[in-house]
Amino acid sequence: MIPAVVRQPFAVSLYRLALRALPYRFRLEYAEQMQLVFADLHRDATRDGGWRRGLRQFLAELPGLARLIEREHREARHARAAARVHNPRENSDMLDSVILDLRFALRSLRKSPGFAVIAVLTLGLGFGANTAIFSIINGVLLKPLAFAESERLVALGEGTQADPPNTLDGTTPGSFFDWKAQATAFSGIAAFTTGRTSLTRACPQGGCEPESVVFSSSTGGLLNVLGVQPFFGRMPIATDEVPGQPEVVVLSHGLWRRLFGEDRAVLGRTLTLGGRARTVIGVMPPGFRFPDGTVELWTAMQMTPEFRTNRDQYYLQVVARLKPEVTMERARADMETVAARLRSEWAQYNTDLRINAVALRESVVGDVGPRLYILQGAVALVLLITCANLGNLLLARAAARRREIAVRQALGAGRGRVVRQLLTESIVLAVAGGAVGIVLGKGFLRLLLASQSAANLPRVEDIRLDPTVLAFTFAIAVAAGIAFGIAPALQLAGSRSSEALRQGSRGNTGGGGVRSVLVVSELALAVVLLAGAGLLLRSFALLQQVDSGVRTDRLVTFSVRLPTPNPTFVSTSLERIGALPGVRSVAVVSQLPVTGRGIGAWFNIIDRPTPANETPPGEAYRVVTPEFFATTGVPLRRGRLFTSADRLEAPAVIINEALARKYWPNDDPLGKLIYLGAPDNRLFQQGTIAGVVGDTRDGGLGAEPLPIVYIPLAVMPAWPEFSYVIRMAGDPGSDLGLGSIVASARREIRALDPTLPIRNVQTMNEVLRDSVAPQRFSMTLLSVFAGLALVMAALGVFGVLSFLVSQRTRELGIRIALGAAPGRVRAMVVGQGMRLALMGVGVGVVGALAATRLMSSQLFGVTSSDPVTYVAVSVLLIGIAGIATYLPARRATRVDPMVALRAE
Amino acid sequence: MTPLTIPVFQILLSLLGDELHGYALIRDIRERTADEVRLTASTLYAAIKRMVDAGLIEELEHRPRQAKDDPRRRYYRITAAGRAVAREEARRLERLTAMAREKRLLPSLRPSSVQKGS
Repeated sequence: MIPAVVRQPFAVSLYRLALRALPYRFRLEYAEQMQLVFADLHRDATRDGGWRRGLRQFLAELPGLARLIEREHREARHARAAARVHNPRENSDMLDSVILDLRFALRSLRKSPGFAVIAVLTLGLGFGANTAIFSIINGVLLKPLAFAESERLVALGEGTQADPPNTLDGTTPGSFFDWKAQATAFSGIAAFTTGRTSLTRACPQGGCEPESVVFSSSTGGLLNVLGVQPFFGRMPIATDEVPGQPEVVVLSHGLWRRLFGEDRAVLGRTLTLGGRARTVIGVMPPGFRFPDGTVELWTAMQMTPEFRTNRDQYYLQVVARLKPEVTMERARADMETVAARLRSEWAQYNTDLRINAVALRESVVGDVGPRLYILQGAVALVLLITCANLGNLLLARAAARRREIAVRQALGAGRGRVVRQLLTESIVLAVAGGAVGIVLGKGFLRLLLASQSAANLPRVEDIRLDPTVLAFTFAIAVAAGIAFGIAPALQLAGSRSSEALRQGSRGNTGGGGVRSVLVVSELALAVVLLAGAGLLLRSFALLQQVDSGVRTDRLVTFSVRLPTPNPTFVSTSLERIGALPGVRSVAVVSQLPVTGRGIGAWFNIIDRPTPANETPPGEAYRVVTPEFFATTGVPLRRGRLFTSADRLEAPAVIINEALARKYWPNDDPLGKLIYLGAPDNRLFQQGTIAGVVGDTRDGGLGAEPLPIVYIPLAVMPAWPEFSYVIRMAGDPGSDLGLGSIVASARREIRALDPTLPIRNVQTMNEVLRDSVAPQRFSMTLLSVFAGLALVMAALGVFGVLSFLVSQRTRELGIRIALGAAPGRVRAMVVGQGMRLALMGVGVGVVGALAATRLMSSQLFGVTSSDPVTYVAVSVLLIGIAGIATYLPARRATRVDPMVALRAE
Repeated sequence: MTPLTIPVFQILLSLLGDELHGYALIRDIRERTADEVRLTASTLYAAIKRMVDAGLIEELEHRPRQAKDDPRRRYYRITAAGRAVAREEARRLERLTAMAREKRLLPSLRPSSVQKGS
């Protein structure tokens, strides 16, 4: 007799309401039954005697209920008191109960050391990777620069209206002094340039080796604008910038220690810098770096009055300090006023001038941000996968612990109390993992920084494991602990204790659904990571297939900076090196291919004069000796190469195809006359285009070839700094023997000038490899993380299927006993795994399509939805998932029906 | 030993015969005692809780197969301990009535009735 659900009589509702006065535990167990019985009795009463009997029945119920309520509350109080006696500290106050939770957590983890160790180690790996990457992000992107009120420091630079607003091209002395005089937003504004020069100090015994150092030369009180104080001594002042005054230099702390052994008597001593004597006036404090850690000396520029008005030498970088209360927007508006004035006053130089202002920190960091954030995203995904895996491990433990929890609940532990206890356990695990993570992270970080590619990161000196990083690691550890602990805790605490007690430890925990969801998310996250890594791998492979335009094998290079221009030195050294055995040809070039745009100048075509009041376009140029093209393998397309007959008196230039395409798309450039520079300040009078050569990827392998003008050294004999390129005879495809050639070449250079430092000895292949170092950095790391993710996801699939198989042992046993073929059983389990894998891949591909859009800027030659990558990743993941399902599936077919049935 | 309360003893008696749910227990007790013992839902479950805790009765894991009533109902059965306790209580009551007979408070039992009762 199942009563149809009818409207409950009012008395029954009232009774039910009254039952709520009973203690929770009693209510959980009996309230429903009481209500059922009451409803039956009430029905009998009203049937036999109408509403009066019904009312009597209801009233008769009340005294008993009141006694029951009173008694049960008294007993609940006694039970709690007894629990306190048993464990006097419980519930005494919050802190005590936390300590109790902690103690209990440690005891419970000690009981299963294998689980604890695995959990802590996997977490440690995840936290370690996050710690290392975050250290880099923190040091490079987040930490303020180490200057007083560094947020008020601004980098200023020129751009055109067409350039992005963070373009910070150098400016000219003339413009700089205009900015300085006209800008109102800044309390200080200074210009600087950096370079490399040779340093010789007067040694008492003589014979000190010259060395090559990076220096910065500035005007306008750079160090004052930065807001730094010298370690001791003084900083350059305005009078030091007056030509004819003694030239001064400030040393870095490192250089002071290296050269002078921290001798304070260094002030007033003389250093020879690039052939000129300079007096040491101060030493900077140890942490001071500007513009980066390579600079070891700071000097004051002494500009002649004529040069102070120069408007075509774009070599000054500008920093300024905002006045207090002045915002970046005000500063930008201020500089726009200045720019407008310059556009009209010096139209010829500044047609579409814009003066850009960028926070100094941003200008130092450049565009490295996206690369680092992608890596952080990747390690965060790895951590999420780790958490999902641990969540699964904890769920498995939950199955075994149900009875324990039920006993605790029966003894009076409330639901919230149990959840807190279980969360304490997972947080203890996570914090222990965090400690391991900090140690591992330190190791990872050291590995990362040691890898040569990190040298391309700005602010490398600021990267370290500092309190911010420690706080970050601690925070993610606690968050992760809650994340992977919450599902099992809620599930355990929510189960009905009476059932758990009755079922004992054999219990079916359910949780299969939660576990499947966790595994599917793991797989999906792994797909996202794999897709990201795959796209970078494809990009990198495509990037390496790009023809640099240079035949790189058996090509070796080093660079030399002459203290004073010396064409004789260059030609003599080339002759001597060219005569060395094993050298096929040798040349010099002002800037190596594939190493950036380098210096440029206004490009003017004689028969296409630039209209007055317009700035001509700028193009990059290279100063070379005639053998350059033959040596580097840059092919001649039309016309002729340079010969020794190309002299200053009859200048000829060679252009590359990119330049020819840009200016003479439908025309023959050969024979056209051009000049470089401003009309009244030309690099050379004018020259004929004698030849067109192949393009080189000077802007990087991933960028379009840059237009380039090649000028013979004979036409620009004053050029001081060169890279030598030497092509060796012998087997192409092997770089053997380059070392000895370099050693011989070095001897030849030394023989000509013993004071000349030789730098950047590299094979051209190494130069090429360095040019893609940032991409290699991202790709390698992301691949490692994706590999980790794949392993974790495979473990997750394995774990959840093993669990499901063990849950279904009885069922599988019955199936086998009833004659199911092992193949069928295996297929069933594998099918279950494959369903998870397919769902994971499906979700993951959608997620990856969205996530990888964020990394489009890092891709080359592939779009973020590259089908090849996605298919490969899906196949890989499904394959791995297939392997992970194999073991559980095999175990399923080995179920002995008798054992399985008896197992209960 | 302390005497059992009336509800507890009656519940044990009812469960000696069959496994019953709460409402059936109340009905059975009323019928056997000719409406003398009338339990309410509250008094019934106050007793049931103590008896379950003391191990005198237990809740059935599965409902009896023939049960066709409301599936939410839970059934109880007597345990060995419950049986022993009930017997002990019956003996105590027997000793009490024997004392009453000795004092001629009640007529002594005739042998025939003894035979009838065995």
